[in-house]
Amino acid sequence: MAASIAPECNEVKEKYDTCFLKWYSEKYLRGNTSSNDCEELFSKYKTCLNKSLKDKGIDTMIEDARKGNKESDAEHNRRS
Amino acid sequence: MKFFENVYTYDYSFPAVTLAYFLRYPNPYSRHVLTTDVIERHIDPKTHRLHTTRLHLKKSKVPSGILKLLPKGMGGSDSSGQSYILETTIVDAKEGWMETESRNMEWTGILSVVEKQVYQRQLLEGALDNLAGFALDDQTSEQTTVKTTVTFRSRLGQGKLLGWRKTDAIVDHNHDIDDEPAPKKGFFSSLSTAGIQRTIELIGVNRTRDAILKSKQGMNVVLERLRSGGIVGVLEGMRQDREAAFSPEGGPWKRVWLRGNALKDDDDN
Repeated sequence: MAASIAPECNEVKEKYDTCFLKWYSEKYLRGNTSSNDCEELFSKYKTCLNKSLKDKGIDTMIEDARKGNKESDAEHNRRS
Repeated sequence: MKFFENVYTYDYSFPAVTLAYFLRYPNPYSRHVLTTDVIERHIDPKTHRLHTTRLHLKKSKVPSGILKLLPKGMGGSDSSGQSYILETTIVDAKEGWMETESRNMEWTGILSVVEKQVYQRQLLEGALDNLAGFALDDQTSEQTTVKTTVTFRSRLGQGKLLGWRKTDAIVDHNHDIDDEPAPKKGFFSSLSTAGIQRTIELIGVNRTRDAILKSKQGMNVVLERLRSGGIVGVLEGMRQDREAAFSPEGGPWKRVWLRGNALKDDDDN
């Protein structure tokens, strides 16, 4: 599995990824879309990741990217 | 503005292709991808579609061809050699399609690259209508087409350089020799601005041609591993890729592999 940008989150990410793959292939793809087996692991992983993204200042960059992209798309759509 | 478009067919079922998409890093063609994180994921309660946002960190440099076009100091100042890519995907397992979008988050003023893909299930004649009968390794009854569209947009010299923090640097009027910023905006307000934008967009297109080929080769490696060894096969392949890429010992990834191996009990293969 791919490594996390935050090495300290690798372990919980690994657990989450494994859980997701199992859920995705065995449940979601077979039509069971209401289950959320990995919610708890995802929440733990996100807590760890968000802290690191914040420390690195990437959280605001992600927000900016989303905002900026929306703006530029709107701009582009007006022109064409 | 430049576009790149391509249609490709995978000889694998739609479920397998979507799984491979989420599992595609690392693979032998993705040595430049350093990390991948899921930053958001949910199922839309109405449509039952799976929405995912991921953040990839990739090794990359501003191409030298583009560097030559930039005022000195621009492009080299933040040369960490890494770039962040934001990827969003929506999967509709019932209708059999997946849409993906990937964007660069930095340098978007110099060149914004947006890659969109639409994956579509193609049922072949005689295939089962009932999805409940699908198998991840079933490649005879289904194919999956993917249409890739990449948009390149350079706004260099348009004054509003989104994602470019050091806006002062752009007033440099002679990119070859000047070290200090010139007071006038001569370079960028000149007639050549459009030409420079076009050139930058073209360099982006050429690089993308190669990148898209590599990403398909990578997907096919992951899909083949999935077909022959299930998820365990993919994880084993990843372990080998990583050992080849990093160290002969394998290091901390051995732990990962052991944990991944726990899936074996649930795998029919």
